[in-house]
Amino acid sequence: MMSGKPGYHGVILNIDLSTGKSEKVAIPPEDLARFVGGQGLGMKILWDRLKKPGVNPLSPENPLIFMPGPFSGLPVPSSSRTCVVTKSPITSPVESDYPHASTVSYSNMGGFFGPEIRFAGYDGLVITGKASELSYVVIDDDKVEIREGKRFKGMRTDAFDKVFLDALGDRRFKTVYIGPAGEKLVPYSSILHTAGRAAGRGGMGCIMGSKNLKAIAVKGSGQPGVADHKRFLAALEKARSALFGSAYAKSWAEQGTARAIVANSNAGTEAVRNYREGTFLEADKIGGDAARRDVWVKDIACYCCPLACKKSGTTKGKYGGIVHDGPEYETGVMLGSNLLISDMPGLLKAITTLDDLGLDQISTGNVIGFLMEAYEKGLIDRSFLDGIDLKWGSVDATLAMIEKIAAKDGVGALAAEGVRALSWHIGKGSEKFAIQVKGLELAAHNIQANQPRGLSYVTASRGACHMSGDNIAMQNRRAMLDSTGMCFFPTFEPALEEPMLSLLSAITGHEYDKAEFEKTGERIFNLEKLFNYREGFRRADDRLPDRFFEDAFTIGPKKGSVLDREQFDAMLTQYYKDRGWDSETTKPGKAKLQELGLDSI
Amino acid sequence: MKGTDSSHEGTSFTRRDFIKSVGIGGGLVLFGQFGVNAAAWALSGDPVLKMVLVDYTKCTGCRTCETACSARNRPVSINGRDLPGLGNPRFANIRVHSFNPDVDVPNVCAMCADTPCVNTCPVKPDPKTGRRALYRDQATHAITNDPGRCLGCRSCAKACAAQRRGVITPNPTTGKPERMCTLCGGDPQCVKRCPFGALSYVEVRRDRKFYGLGPEKIAAELAKGWYGTAEFGGMK
Ligand code: SF4
Ligand code: SF4
Ligand code: SF4
Ligand code: SF4
Repeated sequence: MMSGKPGYHGVILNIDLSTGKSEKVAIPPEDLARFVGGQGLGMKILWDRLKKPGVNPLSPENPLIFMPGPFSGLPVPSSSRTCVVTKSPITSPVESDYPHASTVSYSNMGGFFGPEIRFAGYDGLVITGKASELSYVVIDDDKVEIREGKRFKGMRTDAFDKVFLDALGDRRFKTVYIGPAGEKLVPYSSILHTAGRAAGRGGMGCIMGSKNLKAIAVKGSGQPGVADHKRFLAALEKARSALFGSAYAKSWAEQGTARAIVANSNAGTEAVRNYREGTFLEADKIGGDAARRDVWVKDIACYCCPLACKKSGTTKGKYGGIVHDGPEYETGVMLGSNLLISDMPGLLKAITTLDDLGLDQISTGNVIGFLMEAYEKGLIDRSFLDGIDLKWGSVDATLAMIEKIAAKDGVGALAAEGVRALSWHIGKGSEKFAIQVKGLELAAHNIQANQPRGLSYVTASRGACHMSGDNIAMQNRRAMLDSTGMCFFPTFEPALEEPMLSLLSAITGHEYDKAEFEKTGERIFNLEKLFNYREGFRRADDRLPDRFFEDAFTIGPKKGSVLDREQFDAMLTQYYKDRGWDSETTKPGKAKLQELGLDSI
Repeated sequence: MKGTDSSHEGTSFTRRDFIKSVGIGGGLVLFGQFGVNAAAWALSGDPVLKMVLVDYTKCTGCRTCETACSARNRPVSINGRDLPGLGNPRFANIRVHSFNPDVDVPNVCAMCADTPCVNTCPVKPDPKTGRRALYRDQATHAITNDPGRCLGCRSCAKACAAQRRGVITPNPTTGKPERMCTLCGGDPQCVKRCPFGALSYVEVRRDRKFYGLGPEKIAAELAKGWYGTAEFGGMK
């Protein structure tokens, strides 16, 4: 079952939708040691496949890569994540020699898909080419089939999830799929899993749509092995006791990320009113306490996770009858606080609709916030919005706009291109409050009072990313974490650290101490940077919108906060220096690349 | 609760609480008509039977129980070497059925007192032991297959699926029954490893009337109670 390195199958499954051929491809063993899995190995595969810059992300050539990690498929706590990697359909540099220049894109989702890929005998799936008609792929261990799926065209994800499982005839299949927005190639469309988990950011659904691929189903009967069985079991015991029944795990089970809806508002770090403010005076109406009281009936966990951060429930009233999960921090803030929506059922209706259509909650909430502000300021009128009265806090108008974006209908076609494209179209100084970096919209963390998060947004490899890390050490660590298959959330528990490193070493047979863990992350982050640099991204692209330097908060505990441009620039210069990159061009320096073994790449 | 021993945690709730908590009314009975309170059984003087009991309101669908069960009962074998502690969850004797909308139903042998699975077995009882090819082991209480005498006719699996929980899975090549809970020789790994205390190891009366339902039916009841809907996907 194993080939080459322990802890891995040593193969990816390559599926070419143009030719209909699939084959197992060996992964060079040194890549496993150096890039691990998940985001890292996905990046390496992307680098190897796209030998030249400027490849059109929507072309058949661009691979869509689904990556579990070395933890996946083993009973390691919270080893549930799958990282989807591709070339971004959203981002672009200020200037470049290549018309289709864009960054790497990655998006990480929980659930059961990654472990199942490993059960089926692969360390990853690479999809290339383009099917001649809407299709889906079924993987059952070694058996791989590409099937015609025209009857699923335009189907929303919740209905599709149900019908598709019935069609497969076996609930053991784990599935991922796109909604109508992905089929329509909305750049910020998402890939859904279990109708409520998403690889949301960075345009994954759009790339899948461009391949005429509606869905992938996978199941498997195998299992990856481990290098050191005894050590693995001992470390597993420790990892479990670090989390199982801990106060830390319980607090996640209680409110998940939704706890931060009120907490961040109180701290002045929330995206409110299109990032104009950091505090939402009605946050308690959409926060974790309110949801626990009025909405949630069930806690949901991903594969082998003792945290259960996801919650599902139902609502009553005008927007009632919804059965879905949420609000979470990102979904609750981007569609709630950022749009001044404080009606909980209305908020849930918006969240549910976005998942159903297969749209990224973060980018969509950001886009609608931008349009609300432009409308309020009179830069656009109601006819520009196809008659939608897009006022702050209006649930109905938000829902109408969401449908337009997913269908690329009227104003939706323009809004589907994102806030940067909208601001270019509208002009009149609207770039100032088009809240994006490199073309990707910011997430629900506001930064007038949180400069380090600003660094995360501008230096992240996929465009404005709140998860990248607020400093170099965090960025390296997270690039590595997202390469293992483990979820980020349990890793704040200090007692997990030692067993986690021990597990990784026991599985792979490669000794990961803290230093090696971070060094590997640094290598991954630098390869992403090399990719972006080759495409033409420079320091001018690592730039925040003017709002953050000009519009001080007018309410809340951080009232008066605003970023200082000189200070921010100085921080950035220091960042490049510390990274070993040129502080003018951001080009990774020879010494650094040598140190990381990337000089010959 | 620590993940080490939760076997006594789940035994205190009554059948009424249980039925209330999962929103099931009417005459639908999921468990023994006498409830599951261990103290009551001890007092009754009947020989007890132990089983794994599920609290559906606590289950999060994490599938840790499946991995723990496979690790003990179907360890993976790589290059001819058994690796206890590792196993593909699909071979577990407990199976977590997950539905859309979100309902998770761990399905495990209900230790039916009247054993319809055993009763249907066409193999004549052995004159000495009284056993058919499927029988309840008197020491472990587990429904056990005697592969030497089993015909692989799949009748037991069909009976369990039609009348009870549908836990028996015939081996795809031999047709012989698999996935009956072994209770792990008295130390149920699934109970021990469930991070959410959704499973408990309880004593139940041997002479109870037992109606273990299939996961689809339980899921539909749960969804009605939680979400007010019984519109499901993946029911097949
Ligand atoms: S381990 Fe517990 S919570 Fe997780 S699926 Fe099994 S019964 Fe449910
Ligand atoms: S659940 Fe099925 S296998 Fe278990 S005792 Fe009942 S009928 Fe037999
Ligand atoms: S499959 Fe074997 S154990 Fe089951 S009913 Fe037939 S003979 Fe009996
Ligand atoms: S008691 Fe043992 S055999 Fe039965 S389901 Fe639990 S882990 Fe599996």
